[in-house]
Amino acid sequence: MTELPISYTANITLNVNGTDHQIEVDHRWTLLRVLRDVLGLTGAKRGCDRGECGACTVLVDGDPVCSCSMLALQVGGRRVRTVEGLGNANSLNDLQEAFLAEDGGQCGFCAPGFIMSATALLETNVQPSDDEIKAALVGNLCRCNAYGRIIESVKAAAKSKTGQRP
Amino acid sequence: MTTFRTIGKSEPRRDLPEKLTGEAKYAADVQLPGMLYGKILRSPHPHARILSIDVEAALSLPGVHAVMTPFDSPKGQVAPDMPILDTETRYVGDEVAAVAADDEDLAEAALDLIKVEYETLPFVTDAVEAIKPDAPHTRPGGNLVGGKPLTLVRGNPDEGFAEADRIFEDTYSTPAHHGAALEPRAAVASWDGDNLTVWKSTRGVHADQLALSLALDVPRGNIRVMGQNMGAGYGTKDETRLGVITAVLAQRAGHPVKIELTRQEEFVAGRHRHGTTTTVRMGVKNDGTVTAVHATTIMDTGAYLSAGPGVIRRAGQGALYLYKCANVQYDGYLAYTNTPAGGSYRALGAPQGHFALESLADTVSEALGIDPLEFRRKNHVGLEGQPGERVTPTHEILDTQPVEGGVPFSSNGLRECLEIGSEAIAWGQPSEQPEASNLRRGKGMGMFIYRGGAGGKSIARMRLESDGTLRLITGLMDVGEGSLTVMPQIAAEELGVDYEQVQVTFGDSATTPEAPITAGSTATFSTGTATQEAARQLKERIIEVAAPLLDADPSDLQITSEGVAHVRYPERGVTFSKIAESAGEFEVEASIMPGSRDHVINSFGAHFAEVEVDTDTGQVRVLKYVAAHDSGRILNPKLAINQVEGAVSQMLGFTMTEQMLTDPRNGVTLNASFLDHKSPTLQDFPDMQVLFADVVDPIGPYGAKALGEPPSIGVAPAVANAIYNAIGVRIRDLPMTPDRVLNEIEAQRGDSQ
Repeated sequence: MTELPISYTANITLNVNGTDHQIEVDHRWTLLRVLRDVLGLTGAKRGCDRGECGACTVLVDGDPVCSCSMLALQVGGRRVRTVEGLGNANSLNDLQEAFLAEDGGQCGFCAPGFIMSATALLETNVQPSDDEIKAALVGNLCRCNAYGRIIESVKAAAKSKTGQRP
Repeated sequence: MTTFRTIGKSEPRRDLPEKLTGEAKYAADVQLPGMLYGKILRSPHPHARILSIDVEAALSLPGVHAVMTPFDSPKGQVAPDMPILDTETRYVGDEVAAVAADDEDLAEAALDLIKVEYETLPFVTDAVEAIKPDAPHTRPGGNLVGGKPLTLVRGNPDEGFAEADRIFEDTYSTPAHHGAALEPRAAVASWDGDNLTVWKSTRGVHADQLALSLALDVPRGNIRVMGQNMGAGYGTKDETRLGVITAVLAQRAGHPVKIELTRQEEFVAGRHRHGTTTTVRMGVKNDGTVTAVHATTIMDTGAYLSAGPGVIRRAGQGALYLYKCANVQYDGYLAYTNTPAGGSYRALGAPQGHFALESLADTVSEALGIDPLEFRRKNHVGLEGQPGERVTPTHEILDTQPVEGGVPFSSNGLRECLEIGSEAIAWGQPSEQPEASNLRRGKGMGMFIYRGGAGGKSIARMRLESDGTLRLITGLMDVGEGSLTVMPQIAAEELGVDYEQVQVTFGDSATTPEAPITAGSTATFSTGTATQEAARQLKERIIEVAAPLLDADPSDLQITSEGVAHVRYPERGVTFSKIAESAGEFEVEASIMPGSRDHVINSFGAHFAEVEVDTDTGQVRVLKYVAAHDSGRILNPKLAINQVEGAVSQMLGFTMTEQMLTDPRNGVTLNASFLDHKSPTLQDFPDMQVLFADVVDPIGPYGAKALGEPPSIGVAPAVANAIYNAIGVRIRDLPMTPDRVLNEIEAQRGDSQ
């Protein structure tokens, strides 16, 4: 007789983009799985499921984390921000506008992760140097390697934030 | 000088806003009511026969809805050498069985309950070994595809070598190298009676529709494939087995099924750049004139053929066509092994072939005492093409990768690439050396040629919709390269309206006409030509319809951004919506066979790198990189620069760090993760300058030629030659990791002491 995987559940309050959700979560579920499969927030992508690519980056209490490598249970009661909480296609926020103007993406699969990492950076450092930008985004892979344009996008966003137009 | 409304302008990428906000749906984002999750059981053996499969325990697990095995799956073929599922497995990771269950965890648990009895078979993991007479057979007919090499000859190579004062020869290797698109393959399948809908990560919805139809024996018209957005592939996502398995599971379960590959599966069961071993011989006169070239490539296609035959041919283009030479030969050996299957990956075999050719060109120049740039200036193929006799009948479209001589190029900016690139890197001015004696700097270069352009029959429709919307409809997929942006630019320019006014429908087999896959750097040229023609026809039609409304002769009317107006009395006009109101919605279709009967259409380029080698650690740093390209007129500079920069950075991975490693003892892929298959990050992105030659191709749409793949060709040779220039050590094997560089420093300096 084969044993099935043991599963038990817990009720948590998940605050996502300012809204509280009461969710019953399996103890094995990652934050990414809950965002995508339970809440239907598919902006965070599953690129590797082991914290190597950054496509699933969201902010937890302001810090960028790989949501594939955090259990939903760990996030109960904390503030989660996803790309859906920023602009939408008809009204991009400043950072997203900068990515559009500087062509900071190709296939776009990595884009939500980069946007979240860059959001965390610019909220704590309004005038990052090139090295600081690279250090903050090094955990996000772009296999199209649009890195040159992504760096330019973040620089442009930082300039517009500090009042200098790019 | 022609002034354009939108061509040559950096219009924003059409699909980027939705991608930046997470609204863009990729295949894995599709959720359907009642959808199940599928998982695939994979072979633990590199080569085995499946004797039996016991699925009873798996099927009796509550929440498991369907199982499929080679013993009960439909008998169709996914590819000529690949059934839907097979009782023989050919690499570690080959598909054995599949299940569909209520959720992923259950599906995973069910896989553990499937009992498979294997009889293991002898295996081979190396292509050079595989084509030896005593190697274990991976296939009944032997491992060498077709039983003989692909041999392509122009002129008489023996005579060419006899004319040479000196002959040089060397052997180079490149590893299996994974594109590792950030989006792992995913497919969702749903049946409604006899009708199947598949959402899939793909670069060709029509090609997938056809493949699904053939494999499943379901009429093509009953199958709809939706491309959604595609999380890139660089060519590697041509593979239908996943779609077919998903469809079979969905049919059996009576529910929609989704399968998403894990990252490990994507590495192993995806497709990668073929590993190669290439020997190049070059005969030269003492004055540097090339008299003969002969290249031989042994290429590992892995367990399946996939795009192998095209890739092995492409690996020879450099040797056959880059240097002006009457007498050349290429022999390509494509070998099956019991390793993951190679596939098409950006520029196919060209990067491998050019790495060998352009490394040897450096060795030859040095031995002759000629500057490497001067050697290329002296020998590169010119506008007139190669010497020799045209073989293709004059009424036929010329192959864009010909072997024959006697045919000119439509345009050739290779010389200009050499000039502008060398100037930007300050060629001829030696690198400034740091004080630390372990840090040595040098410069290197490589040039390249690439076919592209014609991609087969291409269709575009243009429609004036009832509300006045101008819509372009093509079966293309935008795979991240930007055709969704460039196609409406072409249409808008031809129509004479603003870029934003042209709406686009792409990537859905049910609503778009047949298109070639977005492959081989052909989309802009082929579908672009069809789009331009469709826009021309629509313009004519709109003016015809407007003429009676304005009581004017069609020849006195022109399109404006509002609608149609009289050329001399602009106040006499009618809007697009009024025209549509009066005539009803109307549509035109252009179907073209792109190419030329008189000219070969190729792209060219030259890459230059300045590197710093740490001789204590073997670490190589790219200080400056210059990529100079002739891709005809650049239709959207910002997108083009992004594409070139991205390709260079991607191929710095191929050059310096990335390789798929197979354990020869058991066929297991050792590094199927981003931590171990080391890809470039933002911190590795070098100081880079992208330059475009001032070329307008007389055939391409608005003068454009191919761009997507060419920038990936020049990287490895430019860097290898720069390392040689810095430290006098020739690296012949990729990737040039620190340990390899250190070993070569020791070995080659040891030799000379």
